[in-house]
Amino acid sequence: MITKRDTRIPRRPLLWLAAALLFVLPPMFDGLAVWVPMLLLSAIATKFWMEPRGYRLRFLPLKLALVVAAVVAIFISYGAIKGIEPGVSLIIVLMSLKIFEAHTVREFHFMVMLGWVLCLCGFFLAQDLAIAVCIMIAFTLLTTALVQFYRGLAAGRIWPPLRGALTLLAQAVPLIVLLFLLFPRVTTGFRLLLTPNLTSAYGFSDRLSPGSVETLASSRSVAFRVEFPDGNVPRAAALYWRGLVMTQGEGMEWRSRDTQPAMSHPSQELRGGNTVRQWITIEPHGEHWMFALDRPVTASPGAILTPGNYLWSWQPIMKPRRYEVRSSLEMARQGLQPRERERLLEVPASISPRVRELAQSWRAADPGPRAIVGRALDFFQTQRFRYSLSPGEYKRNDLEEFLFRRRIGFCEHYAASFATLMRLAGVPARVVVGYLGGEFNEMGHFYLVRQSDTHAWCEVWLPDTGWTRVDPTNVVAPERVNLGLESFLERSAGAGEMSPGFTRTFARQPFFAKIRVTWQTLNYAWDSRVLGFDAEAQQALTNEIGLPDLRPVSLLFLSAIIAAGFVVILATWMQMLARAHPDPVQSLYARFCAKAARLGAPRDPTEGPVDFARRAGQFLPQESERIATISDCYVGLRYGREMDSAMLHRFAHEVRLFCSTRN
Amino acid sequence: MNLARLPRLRPTTALGGLVFVLFAMWYAASSQNNAAAYLLFFTLSSLFIVSIPHALLNIASLKATTESVKPTFAGDEVSLPVEVTNQSGKPRYGVRVQVPDSGGDEQAVDEIAAGRAARVLIRFPARARGEYEVKRLCLASAFPLGVLRATKRINCHQRFLVYPKPEGDPRLPPDRARSAYNRPRTELGEGDDFAGVRAYELGQSQRQIDWKAVARGHPLMTKQYTTEATGALYLDFAAVPGDDTETRLAQLALWIIEAERARRSYGLRLRGTEIAPSLGQVHFHRCLRALALFK
Repeated sequence: MITKRDTRIPRRPLLWLAAALLFVLPPMFDGLAVWVPMLLLSAIATKFWMEPRGYRLRFLPLKLALVVAAVVAIFISYGAIKGIEPGVSLIIVLMSLKIFEAHTVREFHFMVMLGWVLCLCGFFLAQDLAIAVCIMIAFTLLTTALVQFYRGLAAGRIWPPLRGALTLLAQAVPLIVLLFLLFPRVTTGFRLLLTPNLTSAYGFSDRLSPGSVETLASSRSVAFRVEFPDGNVPRAAALYWRGLVMTQGEGMEWRSRDTQPAMSHPSQELRGGNTVRQWITIEPHGEHWMFALDRPVTASPGAILTPGNYLWSWQPIMKPRRYEVRSSLEMARQGLQPRERERLLEVPASISPRVRELAQSWRAADPGPRAIVGRALDFFQTQRFRYSLSPGEYKRNDLEEFLFRRRIGFCEHYAASFATLMRLAGVPARVVVGYLGGEFNEMGHFYLVRQSDTHAWCEVWLPDTGWTRVDPTNVVAPERVNLGLESFLERSAGAGEMSPGFTRTFARQPFFAKIRVTWQTLNYAWDSRVLGFDAEAQQALTNEIGLPDLRPVSLLFLSAIIAAGFVVILATWMQMLARAHPDPVQSLYARFCAKAARLGAPRDPTEGPVDFARRAGQFLPQESERIATISDCYVGLRYGREMDSAMLHRFAHEVRLFCSTRN
Repeated sequence: MNLARLPRLRPTTALGGLVFVLFAMWYAASSQNNAAAYLLFFTLSSLFIVSIPHALLNIASLKATTESVKPTFAGDEVSLPVEVTNQSGKPRYGVRVQVPDSGGDEQAVDEIAAGRAARVLIRFPARARGEYEVKRLCLASAFPLGVLRATKRINCHQRFLVYPKPEGDPRLPPDRARSAYNRPRTELGEGDDFAGVRAYELGQSQRQIDWKAVARGHPLMTKQYTTEATGALYLDFAAVPGDDTETRLAQLALWIIEAERARRSYGLRLRGTEIAPSLGQVHFHRCLRALALFK
């Protein structure tokens, strides 16, 4: 019920609400037009100026005009009114206007509810751990605002209401976990057309052109994380993570042939016992391919193993996903159809005669494919090729320029040119794009693979071994393969190629390294355990526990029972905690009074202990001495300055004797 | 836990908002398969579920007792002092006390520490004259989230009087009672004329003690005053003009107030009741009580 005196929102809850809204903002600044979160910020600031003066937005036409203006501004900013960013912007703008207007209890509640909706919006814009921490802080502060509001002016400014909210949330944790694991994850039939745009997400495309990997090499964002549950971790130089296979070569540029591969199982021989099991948590990149250690031999749920031996997800990867995959480190020998072989030897007509000549010369010397590969690698090793992140610009047909003049390039240049040369020399070849290496996190025992670990290499088909991995970068810059890109760049920095920068040196301090490792571990746990927990993971879990019935209805029923049981347990526990511990002096005196009442001398509630002792002494003359002692002890213990344990002991003793001697 | 003694929970309008937000979260999470949104949904629902025992226990161990109420005139406000005791070992917050169906406001107590009590004064309008009883008190609290309101009714038996609303002609009626007494009497009391001193007796007004004499070393003496002996004024129900009982009672109440103010000794004669003329607070309330209970 809202009484008349509640027509103004007290200042303290408003402060908590404002603090909560500040923590909702970070994901907004990331994904929305800048003016939207700025509007919210300025609304909060203005509110604190308006509130003590009693100003608020009252004039209805002005409110309507502001709403219309906001909708127009959103349309101008995004060019649309549908979709996730405009929708979230609209909610934020309405929230800002509401802040100007709000002044009653009901509106305070409305703002808290809107705050919760903003938390939800935040998770639509971004889901990484840093954002989640911000949103959870915002959630806690919103709860604190409510608790503070209903505490009124009870003592304590900051800690007591915050403790109230934290207590509620802490008690909710077991229930949150149980619901998270068991609440049915149904997919509602009608899908909201809210596709978060992944402009901020990185990853390579299905086209390998000069310079495409370069842009990724400077990105520190996470591509995926890998755990080896069986503990057999391959050595660092073997950590080739297979992503996408490109079979269509155009000189320096390579492409994947199909946008969606045909549903055919690749020829594979699963060598028992020699496979490496991995749990991979992939970050969203908006494309279909999934990564696995070279080469995957099993398909994961929701994905197939394509003819090129890479994983292809049916759905584009829009959210973190965790999957299990097995890979074989030894290459399985595969056959090659003549028709396929022809396709894998196709080269563009635009290749210059000088390049063709080079490839022909290798073939002429020894037509064996192995010999050709060896010669080609020799060529890269002896002709003073250099490895660099900034090799300058190459065009699609600049193969000759690269091979004979500039001779400086990045892994993509080497892979593309090597594969093209192999085809010219008559060896079927293809380019594989993926990642190489990764950073081992000792705390969480997982490998963290970043976008900067992107790598491209070649595979050639040899009659005796089938598809064989050849990494031309390895002969040009072996440190890149053995140490990882970062260490490689650091070494080169000594040669003046690139300065490591102050911050990077600073970040190398052991203390910061430890923080970094902890943060990475938490991030991994968040991505793999929380974000990666979907309907399939839930099914796996319920199967493991051995729940008999897995229909959504029964899971919902189970969740309801759990929630009800939880309420009863919590209420009983809280009741026990809140039970008052009576003062021993008081309870002993109450016992004495009860005994006296039984003997016919009840104490009047308004009667003081001394008066009562006098009256009871007159009524029970043979006990008068004991009654006086009891009364003296009581007065001494209750009103005396400090607790005297000897006196308390005597008091208890006398009270015990009081009735028994009489009987 | 005694289930029968548990307070009742009622949803507030804010619960509607919460349910809407929860539904929005669930729908968004399930349509997007967004685990983070699911987590938020579970957090908010668990928070709500956890708040249920908090809301219940915030009220459950509270006890309320009333204290005596001063009589009021109809049309004024009754002030009911209530003591709310927290019998638990934890502090309780945001408690509101109300007398149901009284038309009065709620009174809020922001905090009652463990084992302590808080006093509030509940005001509600006094409607018509008579004797009333406050039978029930209502304790309510929306703590901690404001989406559920726990209410608890507490029985009590607090009687109070409402005197008739004083209305009518403020001039006192002509002094017809004088004939009953042949000579004007001098009455000792709270008059204006000094009549001498007498030994102090316990219970007499301290204002009348002759402090100057005490300062000179004399024992405690009270000064005696007399009122102008105009004789006692009898206020007779039968002699009040008009037919309506309530109007006549209102007139009587006004005269009692006026007589008391003018320090004229007055008596009251109702059907079956007669109160001998006198003056002072005790007499004043005795007369008004008679009016309030008049049938």
